[in-house]
Amino acid sequence: MAPVQRPDNIATMINGVERYNPENVEVLEAYLDKQCQSGEYDLEANLAILKLYQFNPALAKEPIIVKILVKALTAIPAPDFNLCLYLLGEHGHLESIEKLTELQQLLEQARYVKFWQADLKPWTLVVPSFESEIREVIARVMSMSYQTITASALAGNLGLTGDAFEKFCASQQWQINGDLVQIPINKGDWLF
Amino acid sequence: MYQDTFEEDDLIAEVELVAQARYSQNNEVDDGFDTEVVSSQTTTAQIPDGVRNFILHFYRNVIDSNIYELHNIFDSSFNKLTEKYYQKQAWPEAEVIAPLVNDDQVFLTLYRELYYRHIYARLTPTLEQRFHSYENYCDLFNYILNSDGPVSLELPNQWLWDIIDEFIYQFQSFCNYRDRIKGKSDQEADLLKENSQIWSCYSVLNVLYSFIQKSRINEQLLVSKNGGDMMEAAGEYGSRPLYKMLGYFSIVGLVRVHCLLGDYVLALKMMDNIVLNKKAMFARVTACHVTTYYYVGFAYMMLRRYADAIKAFSTVLSFIQRTKQYHSRSYQFDQIAKKGDQMYALLAICIALCPTRLDENIHSQLREKYGEQLFKMQKGEDSLAVYVDLFQFACPKFLSPTGKGTDPHQNQLKVFMADIKNQMNLPTLRSFMKLYTSMGIEKLAKFLEIDSDELTTQLLIFKQKSRQYKWVSGNLLEGEYLPTSDLDFCLKQDVVHIAESKVGRRYGDWFLRNINRCEDILANLELSKA
Repeated sequence: MAPVQRPDNIATMINGVERYNPENVEVLEAYLDKQCQSGEYDLEANLAILKLYQFNPALAKEPIIVKILVKALTAIPAPDFNLCLYLLGEHGHLESIEKLTELQQLLEQARYVKFWQADLKPWTLVVPSFESEIREVIARVMSMSYQTITASALAGNLGLTGDAFEKFCASQQWQINGDLVQIPINKGDWLF
Repeated sequence: MYQDTFEEDDLIAEVELVAQARYSQNNEVDDGFDTEVVSSQTTTAQIPDGVRNFILHFYRNVIDSNIYELHNIFDSSFNKLTEKYYQKQAWPEAEVIAPLVNDDQVFLTLYRELYYRHIYARLTPTLEQRFHSYENYCDLFNYILNSDGPVSLELPNQWLWDIIDEFIYQFQSFCNYRDRIKGKSDQEADLLKENSQIWSCYSVLNVLYSFIQKSRINEQLLVSKNGGDMMEAAGEYGSRPLYKMLGYFSIVGLVRVHCLLGDYVLALKMMDNIVLNKKAMFARVTACHVTTYYYVGFAYMMLRRYADAIKAFSTVLSFIQRTKQYHSRSYQFDQIAKKGDQMYALLAICIALCPTRLDENIHSQLREKYGEQLFKMQKGEDSLAVYVDLFQFACPKFLSPTGKGTDPHQNQLKVFMADIKNQMNLPTLRSFMKLYTSMGIEKLAKFLEIDSDELTTQLLIFKQKSRQYKWVSGNLLEGEYLPTSDLDFCLKQDVVHIAESKVGRRYGDWFLRNINRCEDILANLELSKA
């Protein structure tokens, strides 16, 4: 997730009273689209869209809500997904929200194998880098928790097999030794 | 001083009542009234002498801008008279007392503020009264914000805070009322529809943002934060205490409103220029101080930043404990005590989710109030009901800006509890992990009566939850992703290796500090004896 380089006009729109101006919603939605394509992520701007939807339910567009929630999933372990749900009281019944909430729960409960078994196509359509960003999230949890893990378990958690798996491990600097993977200790992650 | 005088008058008020009838001025004031208020006092003649004198005294001090007296009037006299005469009924309407104060509209607006506040607190306002109290606030705010130039009115800080606080409270009360009558009386539903701008979310927000803008309080705070003099950035309005304090209190008001609407990030963002310490301006009014910390702590909790929430709650709960004896006479004492209780409940939730060492006093109070709940929250499945109870007791009364859609409270509760459910087995896991430095997954799974895969999943959840975004420096929303648990582990294939860090207790420092303090006190006593 790249840190945000918020353009000035967006910054003006979400600070102060302008945040409540429903005419800004289209610009903010376009900015969201840009985030989906480029891999950047701006939580506050996206929450501003949801706030405008909260105040003006007629403006709400399901595809936009879906995009925001999908981006929020890639921010785990940050609570962004929950923050979005808190503002989505009016729209909780939407099926896409329910499906995404299920995915969020799978990720929060570390049930990664089940996660990869779910149908992720609708979300990758919306955010092309979705799968790779989630993979990064999972990789971080793996490197925090394991020093040694069986290759099959790790592959299952990452939803990768064969060459793709090996390439990924190489990119994370994990060493594959036979059927085990060694994850080097990252100073910042351990207490000991 | 004056207080004594008119209390004496109270005693002879009964006798004077008859005599007063001869002096009463506008008896015809009777006729113009709507009788929506259950009040038997419709003429100047029937106002008890004590009340009459109070109003004159009040009026005089508003004209003279005598803040000190006004504070007494507002804090104690008004409540004493309410206890005495108006426990079950409204104060006289503004029109009734108008002749006493030369029809001064500004004063009457202020009087009405108290009048409606009393109705909301002791009686149940009708829909008409709700509309009128809104209109009164509009009059007051229009006067302050839209007159030609800043007004010369001065009011004590406590009252200014209460105006903002009450304004938001009446807004909340209106939203709850509106939600309750959904589908009931048609007449009221129609009235609501026709007057949708009354107590609308936008207008409340508009008032708060306008005060902030007019007083340029954010610019002033920024200058002050960087060590400059606030007056440089104050501008024509902001340099007057009335505007400056209203602007400042509006910031806290907005923190509250954003939490009520479920927007916790924005709530914390409002505090960008306010540094949370004893010297902050919110500390001048205790109720404001407590409210600020409550909403900041709550927002942190909903952001899953439990360590930061715990810090916020602990700070203010210590403060309340230390200053309890100074506030027991103030009418705000009950309110503050209630908020304190709510914060203990939230603290209990946070401690269960993120076990942290607490200050001794706070810890013992917490155990006293919620010891049983704390115990139950460690017990897996059974804990959920406890979390729900505590949350429902302690959470603010959430609102939805439009009044349509699902119940906002249910939504917040649902999302919050989904999170809790994921963590409910962690306390049991923790207790086992404290006992060993390493153990095979199979064996540990057997102890916990779950299978190995499930245990692995639980361990991964534990790992994620043992790190949080924690405030280190800068604005409230900033922070770093840090470990917040004293327990950590790593998995080497099928073996868990556990480490526990213990914070060394620094006895030496503690004793040194207290010995020094003791010596200082003794030295001061010696000096004063001499």
